[in-house]
Amino acid sequence: MDPSSTGIQEPFDLIRLSLSERVFVKLRGDRELTGILHAYDGHMNLILSDAEETIMIVDPVDGNFEGQGTVKVAKRKMEMLFVRGDGVILVSPPSRT
Amino acid sequence: MLIFSVFKTLTDQRVTVELKNDLSISGVLKSVDQFLNIRLDSIKVLDETRHPHMMAVKNCFIRGSVVRYVQLPAEHVDTQLLEDATRREAANQAKR
Amino acid sequence: MSGSPTDFLKGVVGKRVIVRLTSGVDYRGILSCLDGYMNIALEQTEEHVNGIVTNRYGDAFIRGNNGGYRSRR
Repeated sequence: MDPSSTGIQEPFDLIRLSLSERVFVKLRGDRELTGILHAYDGHMNLILSDAEETIMIVDPVDGNFEGQGTVKVAKRKMEMLFVRGDGVILVSPPSRT
Repeated sequence: MLIFSVFKTLTDQRVTVELKNDLSISGVLKSVDQFLNIRLDSIKVLDETRHPHMMAVKNCFIRGSVVRYVQLPAEHVDTQLLEDATRREAANQAKR
Repeated sequence: MSGSPTDFLKGVVGKRVIVRLTSGVDYRGILSCLDGYMNIALEQTEEHVNGIVTNRYGDAFIRGNNGGYRSRR
């Protein structure tokens, strides 16, 4: 497998290059996080600081069948957070140019 | 193994464990194992009205797999040390 | 032997792919690489929900257990 122009040979390289950077994490249960990445492991367990969580709550009361209803957004901040890897769907580093 | 070590350094600190069923328990971290099962003492349930059955409970064992988050005391986490240890573990993984 | 699943996946590195998660969400992008757990790294990724673009990421790491299948475009 020839490394691409970005020097990434396996998916975890992408995460390693994001250490001490702010990352975006998409989680199960309509949750998203941004935070500064300080640690991860092979299960995708993460430790983030200055984390902000966004929870999307779809309100079924106002929802019609075609649309998605009104989406309420709840946000909260956490200073230092361990995230269990089994809830992680996607991790995106800050765009490198 | 890295995350396990981090939790071990945080024993006797107060942490808040948020479970996948939205129950949040704060307590003093007494022990942790390789599965990240957690034992907490002096626990407080954050939303007691929603979980009245937890009021009498003073300590508990939490199976690692039901954990969503653990809020850690930031002043007891050395982020530089974490990043170095993570890079070292990633390098070891690559060698295998 | 060029018929094995591993060879197929090696062959699509660098190509445009669609990754569909078990939740039904699609990620369309260029496959940078993948590993034995089917963790996937994509470039120029677009997130599609019900055919609508809902997010764009320069790079994206998708955890293996969420991935459904991927197709070449």
